[in-house]
Amino acid sequence: MTRLNINQLLALLLLAFSIGYLILAFQIPAFAIPRPVDSDAFPKLLGFLMLGLSLLLFLEKPAAAAPQDSETTSQHPVSGRKEIVQLGLTAVSIPVYALLIEPLGFVLASLLLGTGLAWLYGYRRHGINLLAMCLVVLPLYLLLSKVMGIYLPTGPLPF
Amino acid sequence: MDALNNLMFGFGIALDPINLMYVFIGVFAGTLIGMLPGLGPISALALMIPITFNLPPATGLILMAGVYYGAIFGGSTSSILLNAPGVAGTVATSFDGYPMARQGKAGKALAIAAYASFIGGTLSILGLMLIAPLLSKVAVSFGPTEYFALMVLGLTAVVSLSDKSLIKGLIAAVLGMMISIVGMDLQTGTERYTFGTLQLIEGIDFLVVALGIFALAEVFYMLLNPQRKNTPRNQIGSLKLSGAEVKEIAAPIGRSSILGFFTGVLPGAGATIGSFLGYSMEKRLAKDGNTFGKGNIKGVAAPEAANNAACGGSFVPLLTLGVPGSGTTAVLLGALLVMGVTPGPMMLEQRPEVFWGVIASMYVGNLFLLVLNLPLIPYIARILDAPRPLLLSLILIFCMVGVYGISFNTFDLVMLLIFGLIGLAMRLYGFPAAPLILGLILGALMEESMRRALQISGGDWSIFLSKPIALTLLLLAALSLLLPLLRKLRRNRQQPL
Repeated sequence: MTRLNINQLLALLLLAFSIGYLILAFQIPAFAIPRPVDSDAFPKLLGFLMLGLSLLLFLEKPAAAAPQDSETTSQHPVSGRKEIVQLGLTAVSIPVYALLIEPLGFVLASLLLGTGLAWLYGYRRHGINLLAMCLVVLPLYLLLSKVMGIYLPTGPLPF
Repeated sequence: MDALNNLMFGFGIALDPINLMYVFIGVFAGTLIGMLPGLGPISALALMIPITFNLPPATGLILMAGVYYGAIFGGSTSSILLNAPGVAGTVATSFDGYPMARQGKAGKALAIAAYASFIGGTLSILGLMLIAPLLSKVAVSFGPTEYFALMVLGLTAVVSLSDKSLIKGLIAAVLGMMISIVGMDLQTGTERYTFGTLQLIEGIDFLVVALGIFALAEVFYMLLNPQRKNTPRNQIGSLKLSGAEVKEIAAPIGRSSILGFFTGVLPGAGATIGSFLGYSMEKRLAKDGNTFGKGNIKGVAAPEAANNAACGGSFVPLLTLGVPGSGTTAVLLGALLVMGVTPGPMMLEQRPEVFWGVIASMYVGNLFLLVLNLPLIPYIARILDAPRPLLLSLILIFCMVGVYGISFNTFDLVMLLIFGLIGLAMRLYGFPAAPLILGLILGALMEESMRRALQISGGDWSIFLSKPIALTLLLLAALSLLLPLLRKLRRNRQQPL
């Protein structure tokens, strides 16, 4: 059996997504007063467009080399186990931050996250790490909460 | 005379001490963020949006415009010093800028970039000032049918001019539109794709998507790509230019500024194409064309003038039609909508303070870039020496503060993570991100225009083909999709079998 290339795998994923999307589009309830176009018209149009595009992607040959982005430029990553672990832990740290920001407050949660991630990425000068994070997090907190009036949780800190 | 009076009115707003301060903050922060490899104007704008929350719309847009051209200038700095362009718009600058830096002339290259950016930016503002009111008058006659067609053209142009796969670009654009319709339909009150989640009823905030797809995805990508760790930075040296050098770059700057401006006005073209066109035009015109790529000063001046002029040009469709022509102006439009301002042909009449204030602030911002940023460059460039782990964790904090600051909702932080991972996957598998953000911003507007047009026609879809302007725009959209296919066919034919 011929192995699927990356475009074909992605196309199958997108095909499944567009079918799911269309099923939900057909379940959008009609508005009480009949109208020429209802809430479901645009989602159905998009669903069918995505379906057609996934089929076209299935037929497209993958590019030989990773092309460059129109807005940012980059090289293709060369990642090992260490980098993947770092990425995974960074991803986990975001919901953890979401859980901690209200009980600990913005300042403490951000300091914990910032210093912790810098340590995870291999920075071992702990004093400078803490100082740099304080120099960014504290002025940012004061700017947002005191100058611009945006509420940020204080946690156990008195300010 | 009217334009002059309006500009004076605009200067009255831009020179207000508070607005002046925000212009400075904008260009400074834009330069700083734009300088970091990987973080371009889109990330810079998205990261700065939280600062605009409680600002008056004119001040907010003044700040954002400052961030935009500051980021372009910052991108040039990393192109010249590190050969690591932060954005595609400054890639052409690195062709001669980096060889100049290797020859110990980094300061000179940076000064040329600053002067060329200043002149390109200033000339484009003149163009914007003259063309925008005229285009507004034409656009007033646009109905929902024409707007729908115009937005289709905007999207297809961005996709077709992206250097990635056309199909993947279209998929990204459709995905963006799909995200835009999540939440309650404002016309009927029907919930769509909310899965019964309370937090999704108001839809997905564009800032969550923009920060996730661009800034967070870039952090993830940098984590997977440790190659960028220890790039040696060239020393800056003297920033002075001789009289002969000034004379040599004057004409290329003038030509590339005009070219760049008109490229910026076109939907989808923008700074990247403008800078490449400027560079190749000068290379062809120059007697010493063979020294391009080896540190020719005209090779720095031309793309820099063109990319800054294109920035000014890209404001024309944004401010007059309310339709962004690129991912960056889409983020700007999103920021404006957050501030309660809907750009379009009526903006000149209804919100002249925003329109003319922004135009005048661009003059001031360009002057700031030249007078304040240039001498500060040796100091600002030190951010490139900051340890990468610290920078990455700080960008993450900025993303999370930005998201939490809009909604005070931890659910949005989880959404940020989801979009960060989607953005990473898009980068890894060659899907361009700009069409997604454009689709996200235009999706809701397109749906509204489409429905209004179909209400008028009683559900008859042929309305889009019966109006001459709409039909022309749709034909142009179809043509923009066909062009890359024709290019591909021609390339295939030229390749030997």
